[in-house]
Amino acid sequence: MNISTLMQRALRPSQKAYAHCDIPCGIYDPATAQLGAETVEKMMTLMAAADAGNINSMARYIAIKEQHAEMVKHEVRIIWGDFMKPPDLATAPELHDVVWEIMRLGSACRQGTDVADAAALRTKVDEFADIFAKVKATR
Amino acid sequence: MRFMTLVAAVVLFVALAAFATRWLRRTFAPVEVAGESMTPALLPGEYLLLRRDSLADGEQAYGQIVALRDRSGRLLLKRVVGLPGESLRAGADVQINGRALVERYAHGVTPAAQYRGIDRLGPDEHFVLGDRRDASTDSRNFGPVRAASIEGVAALRYWPPGRVGLLRRPRREFAAVDGADAPRR
Repeated sequence: MNISTLMQRALRPSQKAYAHCDIPCGIYDPATAQLGAETVEKMMTLMAAADAGNINSMARYIAIKEQHAEMVKHEVRIIWGDFMKPPDLATAPELHDVVWEIMRLGSACRQGTDVADAAALRTKVDEFADIFAKVKATR
Repeated sequence: MRFMTLVAAVVLFVALAAFATRWLRRTFAPVEVAGESMTPALLPGEYLLLRRDSLADGEQAYGQIVALRDRSGRLLLKRVVGLPGESLRAGADVQINGRALVERYAHGVTPAAQYRGIDRLGPDEHFVLGDRRDASTDSRNFGPVRAASIEGVAALRYWPPGRVGLLRRPRREFAAVDGADAPRR
């Protein structure tokens, strides 16, 4: 035992103070991202069919599309960064590519109005959800 | 005579040591940090001295890391962000009286379920938040805290040796009206 450990033991307070979080951590679910991707696609479809003169409806579609596309990116980043671990690449070697595609398509959906981008985003998020289920089954 | 001097010195030393220990215990309380909601200001496993003192008045209370008891009796460490009499919204940013606070110590985004708005904090109420906004249970959950429930103010970190120092409170800053100084995400 070195001096540092001895000192640490001697100085250790008897009381703990919690910089805590009671929110249950360790709960991961790609369902929110899947719902978000579906919403983006739905908004794009509505925008394509909407009367461009109806500014209020169009503004609402755009706002929801923006919000959900960003949410998809956020939710996927959390699962990718917090839940996935390097050994999971053995189960899902395509993981990083799929996440990268989701980030790229999420941004494309925010920037543009191409329904094909939204459909591709939904497909990739579904693929990510499959990867998640596969990895979770190994834990 | 020499013996008596020695005895007197020993008695004086013991009395002084006892007095100093008593004073230290009454003035400070050592605690170990557990959990990560105050990172990067406080890391789990660090040892702090809490000053058993009431909060400073007015603006001086802002930014202080305080220890308070929750209902289960646990001692919590959180930072004072909202002061008595203020109107506050804790969402993507924290707004005080309608002005966006610039919080260089904070990180993470408040989850939608934790959004909280207080029309006006009472004359004795403070709003406390963890620095890690996406993983902290604080006033967004249990509401404002009264000054009486604050048991101490984190004053000094004394372990690990590389991070020893006084815990200074940040200056209170608000974003410029045009948002140029607003925190970037």
